Amino acid sequence: MIQLKPKTKTLICIGSGGVGKTTFSATLAIGKAHEGLKVLVLTIDPSNRLAQALGMVPDGNIYDLTTDQMREKKGQLSACVIQHEKAFDEFILKASGDKLTAKDIQKLTNNKLYKQLSTRLSGSQEFTSLFKLNQFVESAEYDLVILDTPPAQHTWQFLKAPEKLAQLFNEGVASWFRNPKQSDIGFFKKVLNIGTIQVLKTLETLTGADFIKELNLFFSAIQNWQAPLEKQVLSCHKLLSSQTTEFVLVTLLDPSRVTECQKISQEIRQEGYQLTTIVINKMPHWHIGGSQKYSAKLKNLSDYYVQIEKQLNRLWDTKFDLKIYKCPEVSQNELHEKNLSNVYLQIQPLRNEPLHNI
Amino acid sequence: MATQKIHFFTGKGGVGKSLLAASYACALSLKVHTSADDGPVLLAELTERSFYRDFLSLDKIGYKPLLTPRISKNLSICQWSPADCLKEYALHLLKIESLYKLFFENSVSKSLINVAPGLQELAILGKATSGIRKYGPKMAYSEIVIDAFSTGHFMSLFRAPLAMSEVISFGPMGEQSRSIDRWLRNPSFCEVHIVTLAEELPITETIELYELLKNEFGIESKVYLNKVLDLTDEDFQNLNIEQNKYFSEIADNEKMALQKLKAAKIRFKKIAFVPLIDSLKLIQQISTQMQADA
Repeated sequence: MIQLKPKTKTLICIGSGGVGKTTFSATLAIGKAHEGLKVLVLTIDPSNRLAQALGMVPDGNIYDLTTDQMREKKGQLSACVIQHEKAFDEFILKASGDKLTAKDIQKLTNNKLYKQLSTRLSGSQEFTSLFKLNQFVESAEYDLVILDTPPAQHTWQFLKAPEKLAQLFNEGVASWFRNPKQSDIGFFKKVLNIGTIQVLKTLETLTGADFIKELNLFFSAIQNWQAPLEKQVLSCHKLLSSQTTEFVLVTLLDPSRVTECQKISQEIRQEGYQLTTIVINKMPHWHIGGSQKYSAKLKNLSDYYVQIEKQLNRLWDTKFDLKIYKCPEVSQNELHEKNLSNVYLQIQPLRNEPLHNI
Repeated sequence: MATQKIHFFTGKGGVGKSLLAASYACALSLKVHTSADDGPVLLAELTERSFYRDFLSLDKIGYKPLLTPRISKNLSICQWSPADCLKEYALHLLKIESLYKLFFENSVSKSLINVAPGLQELAILGKATSGIRKYGPKMAYSEIVIDAFSTGHFMSLFRAPLAMSEVISFGPMGEQSRSIDRWLRNPSFCEVHIVTLAEELPITETIELYELLKNEFGIESKVYLNKVLDLTDEDFQNLNIEQNKYFSEIADNEKMALQKLKAAKIRFKKIAFVPLIDSLKLIQQISTQMQADA
């Protein structure tokens, strides 16, 4: 079981690739629904097995996965697999208010730069995740919204996403590319435009003229909705640093991950985000007893895990008040709700006694 | 004849590609010192945040290669962030420092570079192939091992030069993009190594990437099945029900991985799981396992 602060409305699961964030997010959501909360879990790219086992379809819609047991406790579980392209279109629409005609939308979504921005740009997945998260938190329909973050190599890429996008949508940036040749401009703008033309020429050399054309179209398409866009970005920022948002860092029982995790957790806290919890995921949950006879290979393996666990204790002699939990490895053949709710109950705080008693 | 070789390591996040890249570089570095003509081996990572600095407890790591005698006297490590590669490339292309500053050192350009399709990828590959193309600063290495992007981003890296040359068909940039693309397709110069675990998602991504690289670039990647336990009947003796279930699933996954790779007609090498905590010892043990292929 995992304890959250009573005020917490949003939980963000972060961690580098391969640590099992998605399964952990689902486990946590199931557990919290059993505790009687109305929970929504937003996941990204779940494995087929997990999606099937839980009954989710990756189409961006919300699925009600509440079981009778949850209902008895007045809990509720909803899940949604975020579709990034769809979410990005939605974001643009919402930001534009009613200023956009069907023709405008088509013109924009056909733009190559827009496509690049909505799908491939590093940070755009993170951004759409945050946008959806914000939307659901604002709706106040849920007691708790859990977000599983995209597979970034490093956690901070996720947190920097709004800034990156904001930079691009920034009025200053956009104005550089809008009508650089218009006549009614002041002296300052003229000077700026000489620079602009140079930059455009350089960009042309580096990337080709088509790109510049696309760029122009893109920025003239978005020029009227700078303000709402920035408002969105700002509100994502607010949500991330809110006192009602908690961060959970998911990691593995692996020596290099442990070091990485220690550094990252310090950085995140220094940036002012409320990182409260670390979860050592996929803990091997087999015990080798004292008199048991086992092969040399398994003995080595067991010794290895015991050593890393000792490292864990040393690393977090904790100056911060971080809660550290261990979550057992989930069998890939048993990803169904019942087993995951069981796994949730097995999540324990990390203590000083080693897991394996050899 | 190519005198230099480059090796790209990729794989799904968390499969251990950085460790295998370092071990492979270490294995190569043990070979090169036999010949006095050969340059040393370079290990380059492409992240903006270094993995090797913490993993190997290095004082610093940067664009400029640094010798790491603790691993091997013939091995240097560096970090090629896309921004640094782009800077070097642009400076070489634009020649004029002030023009470079005007272009790169303002917030407008910085955000544009983020969205310009393929520009960062092209800069990285430009750097990786600059030695063989004799373009830019000297790269006196006999072998370059690159800890590259994960499977999800790897194709966009390799596709960038061709895409760019289609946009700009003439001029120095078009010519260079075509030349980079040609070198990537040259099997005596460029090799791709895909690292995977015996788990469902990494195996699926590996097979997908292997086929894309084969179909689009004619590249036959080397595949490594990492952290294999290869449990035998002896290991299963005296286990209780819970333990038996845990290790049976591992054994089943390894069997599944072998079957899927074989069905896809992919040749691969097993890397046995090494239960060691010390990074240097770990690299040495795995590099011994990779020696035959280096």
